[in-house]
Amino acid sequence: MTDVASSLEALAKRLAAAVEAANDEQALEAARVRYLGRNGEVTAIRRSIGRLAPADRPGAGKTINDAVAAMERVLDERRAGLAARDVEAALAHRIDVTFPAQPPALGTIHPIRRVIDDACAYFERHGFAVVLGPEVEPDYYNFDALNIPPGHPAREGFDSFWIDDTLLLRPHTSPMQIRTMQMHKPPIAIVAPGRCYRRDAVDARHLFQFHQIEGLLVDRGIHFGHLKGMLTGLCRTLFGAYQEVRFRPSYFPFTEPSAEVDTTCPKCTGHASACSMCGGSGWIELGGAGMVHPNVLREVGYDADAVCGWAFGFGAERLALVRYDVDDIRRFVDSDPDFLEQLGTIS
Amino acid sequence: MKVPISWLREFVELPAESNAIAQRLAMLGFPVEEIVRRPVIEGVVVGRLAEVDRHPNADRLFVCVVDVGDDAPLTIATAATNVAAGQIVPVARIGARLPNLRIERRTMRGIVSEGMLCSPDELALDPQWFDADGIMQLDESLPIGGDAVALLGLRDDVLDVEITSNRVDAMSVIGLARELAASYGVPLRLPSFVNAAKKPAEPAPRVGIASADCSYFVVQRFDHVHVGRSCARVRVRLALCGVRPLSSIVDVSNYVMLETGEPLHFYDAGSVQGGLVARDALPDEVLTTLDGVTRALDPKVLVIADESRALGVAGVMGGSSSEVGERTTSILLEAAAFAGARIRRSAQFVGLRTEASSRHERSVPPALADAACARAAQMLVELGAVAYAPVCAGSVHSAPRLSLTQHDVERTLGQVLAPGRIASHLRALGCEVDDRSEVLQVLPPAWRADLTIPADLVEEIARMEGYDAIEAVVPAVTAHDVSSREYERERQAARVMAALGYHETITYSLRARGGEGSVALRNPLSEEQRYLRSAIEPALLDDLARIGRPFRLFEIGHVFASEGGIVVEVPLLSMAVAGEQTNEPAWSDAQFIRLKGDLQAFLRELTGNAGSVRPVQRAGLHPGKTAGLSIGDVDVALFGRVEPRAERDRGASFPLYAGSVRLDRLGDTLRPRYRPPSRFPSTYRDLALAVGVEVSAESVEAATAHAIGDICTAVRVFDEYRGPQIEQGHKSIAVRAVMQRFDGTITDEEADAAVARAAATLHERLGATVRV
Repeated sequence: MTDVASSLEALAKRLAAAVEAANDEQALEAARVRYLGRNGEVTAIRRSIGRLAPADRPGAGKTINDAVAAMERVLDERRAGLAARDVEAALAHRIDVTFPAQPPALGTIHPIRRVIDDACAYFERHGFAVVLGPEVEPDYYNFDALNIPPGHPAREGFDSFWIDDTLLLRPHTSPMQIRTMQMHKPPIAIVAPGRCYRRDAVDARHLFQFHQIEGLLVDRGIHFGHLKGMLTGLCRTLFGAYQEVRFRPSYFPFTEPSAEVDTTCPKCTGHASACSMCGGSGWIELGGAGMVHPNVLREVGYDADAVCGWAFGFGAERLALVRYDVDDIRRFVDSDPDFLEQLGTIS
Repeated sequence: MKVPISWLREFVELPAESNAIAQRLAMLGFPVEEIVRRPVIEGVVVGRLAEVDRHPNADRLFVCVVDVGDDAPLTIATAATNVAAGQIVPVARIGARLPNLRIERRTMRGIVSEGMLCSPDELALDPQWFDADGIMQLDESLPIGGDAVALLGLRDDVLDVEITSNRVDAMSVIGLARELAASYGVPLRLPSFVNAAKKPAEPAPRVGIASADCSYFVVQRFDHVHVGRSCARVRVRLALCGVRPLSSIVDVSNYVMLETGEPLHFYDAGSVQGGLVARDALPDEVLTTLDGVTRALDPKVLVIADESRALGVAGVMGGSSSEVGERTTSILLEAAAFAGARIRRSAQFVGLRTEASSRHERSVPPALADAACARAAQMLVELGAVAYAPVCAGSVHSAPRLSLTQHDVERTLGQVLAPGRIASHLRALGCEVDDRSEVLQVLPPAWRADLTIPADLVEEIARMEGYDAIEAVVPAVTAHDVSSREYERERQAARVMAALGYHETITYSLRARGGEGSVALRNPLSEEQRYLRSAIEPALLDDLARIGRPFRLFEIGHVFASEGGIVVEVPLLSMAVAGEQTNEPAWSDAQFIRLKGDLQAFLRELTGNAGSVRPVQRAGLHPGKTAGLSIGDVDVALFGRVEPRAERDRGASFPLYAGSVRLDRLGDTLRPRYRPPSRFPSTYRDLALAVGVEVSAESVEAATAHAIGDICTAVRVFDEYRGPQIEQGHKSIAVRAVMQRFDGTITDEEADAAVARAAATLHERLGATVRV
């Protein structure tokens, strides 16, 4: 056995001992540097080759290379072993996944906006635009242009807040029908959500301010069946896929024919005679709708013989009361953190 | 309107179930608000008191021998005091069912009583309106032994029906019966509406119209009128309709109004001088109405007057001077058609709303006047009166004939209906239809003044078909040019605020307090809501004070101001924050800075530009903790700490902050354009500076960036300190400048040189000295 070989053997033994003792990646690396590093012990032995007879040098070189390869295998094995041990240890971790989280402090969108946005999104998917407008409106937009001339009995139904002889807080969003049609030629496909006002004393079912969602579709070939189709889809979007929708004849000066729109009670689905939502009728009244009265179309300069249209107006609070099973409409204007957090989402 | 189903059944065959009838009415456009259920009453018959004697063993009891049509009369003991031989009364026989009571044979002080005489209460009638003191009094018109419940119409429920304002014709039993008959496809059985009286009165009553708001006026005279009590059947019907029975004559007018929809008024003929005329009230004219109230009139009010004075408010309420009383023997009947708007103004002026005005307000069609007059004449003659031929003024104008095609129906409903089917629907409702050509010629019935255009007829056809029968179709919407921009911005604004941790709320737009330029309501519900809000924050801050813990609120809505007499309306987003109690020095307010950060994040999200900040002053906000945000030279937002006094006034135990964004001033969102990052590493240098307290962080950042030049990619003041180690009137701040090149790595020498330039500039411009 040459000196080189015996030195390497001894060195390999010490390395093996060091590797064995190394309990982590760092200690292992220290051992590698000490023996196999640029200034390590193996390097010292390599340098000693120069002192050998030239004939012995190749043999000694091979011996060193073989020994180094063997030592690297020892290191690799130990490294793999340590890694496997760490994985094993990590896999053995157990936490209580039910430990309470501290969710980030997100805000909330108001349930009225949620209902309005979901309704608008439904109409937008069908190609409608969403328009907003003023809350203080002249009587012309609120009444006259909607086929409710002064003295018309229907004006009484809108118990409005007046600012002066002609200006009032809009009692409905229907002025947006007129504004939009005056600004644009047909076809018109809009929804107009917004705040409205009526002189209702505040109680569990009434506020003097509320929100309406108005819809208007005017084009050639639009008929009552389209109104039923779109509003049925709206109810299913808001309340669930199995909603039925019922249209009952009614009267509004700005539509002819006119309808009241009801949907099946999502709370009792018509199966509870004492349902707090529908009073046992199985139906929830949503609002009015109908085919735009020819006088309204003529008022905005449309050819009532060429185009037809429908319109509807639903109360957003009503929709939200039903959708979220809210017991008292005043909760919508209460700023109660618990209410807002229960019903609000950020989207 | 309350309608007894029993009365409807007089005119039309109907299903047994009240619910089915109510459902049908709802689907015809007449929603039933309530089905007033009648209790089950069985075994009550019409009886005659053959003999009435005092009970031999009880002072307070009577023993009656009662003929109920059987061979043997019944013996019935009663405690009622209003019994007398010869009376016709309701008798509950043994086994009868009354509300809460079943009649059994019982012995009363030794006499076996074979039934019970019934009081109105026991028949579920309001005793106040009937014979409060005892047994209900019936009359000779009812057959002895007959089923009193059926004869009086006490079994069927009463429907409270909602009538839309266009259908005054349906504010009547006959009107609703007609709708049901047409819908069920069964015949309508109507009483005769031919006025049999042909003989003119001597002298004929004069009738005149002196107002454009009366189009038709009929007057009919009746003599030999005897004012008594109506038969039980009439009284019960009125009561079930919610109308109090009064006297036989007044009851006729109410009965005919409920049945036909035409309000009638009777005058004591002896109290009328000359004839009747419809005219404007005179200025200062005074009238005592039937309710005993003396009212000052005004030319706004339409009255019915004789030659000398106003006798009643037309279409609203009669006057007491010509009231029909017990001594009345001759009457004048008035039936007229008025302009609805005028009656509404009259009624509002005198502050009355009556059964009559609720109909006349909706313009009762003139044609109903003749029919109602004839019906009343028939009833009065049955009561023994002598009728004279009616006289009239004005005219019943005939409805226009309408053209309707199958296409009109299809175009509106999306449904193809055969012309024959269309014609039969319209005929069922009383229209005359000429269907000899493709264009139907339709003459609406005289009582349907609401049918004026073809679309009105289409609705009638849809009602008869049933709205349910129309197929639901989803339309294909044609491309149009209406934009959703404003709405999209609101929707995005709300979502960004929610993501920033704010809770959306809704507060009232009407407030108790206004300031200069506030818009006031003319008719507020209360002083608490007289003004349109000019800001949203106050309401949010009130809510936060009530919540009483750290919370963040926002609201999107309009605010209002009067500018030169014009109401200006602006869409705002306002926020309010109740922060944490902190112990910060006077020169620092981390929560203010957080609010600024929120607003800048908001602006960046909505416009692509975080805006620039400058201190401003605003009433209600802290003078040293208020700032404005602007984009370019447009002021878009304002925010700050609530002024300490205002905070204290609200009783807030947490620091309050508020801000608003002018949503209308946010321009279009800048579309971001991507810039690939430099391939070379960046480096940074921090500078610790001593500057005067008045020097703003923004000016330090600007000067630093300017001095460093193009290679400066970011600069940020990240620390501020004031205290004993710093010279009075000065503060220490730290600023970090980040540098990077696109064309190579910045060397340490280059970076150091840049920072040296910055230090020099900061010293020169802002008097800053570098601290070591």
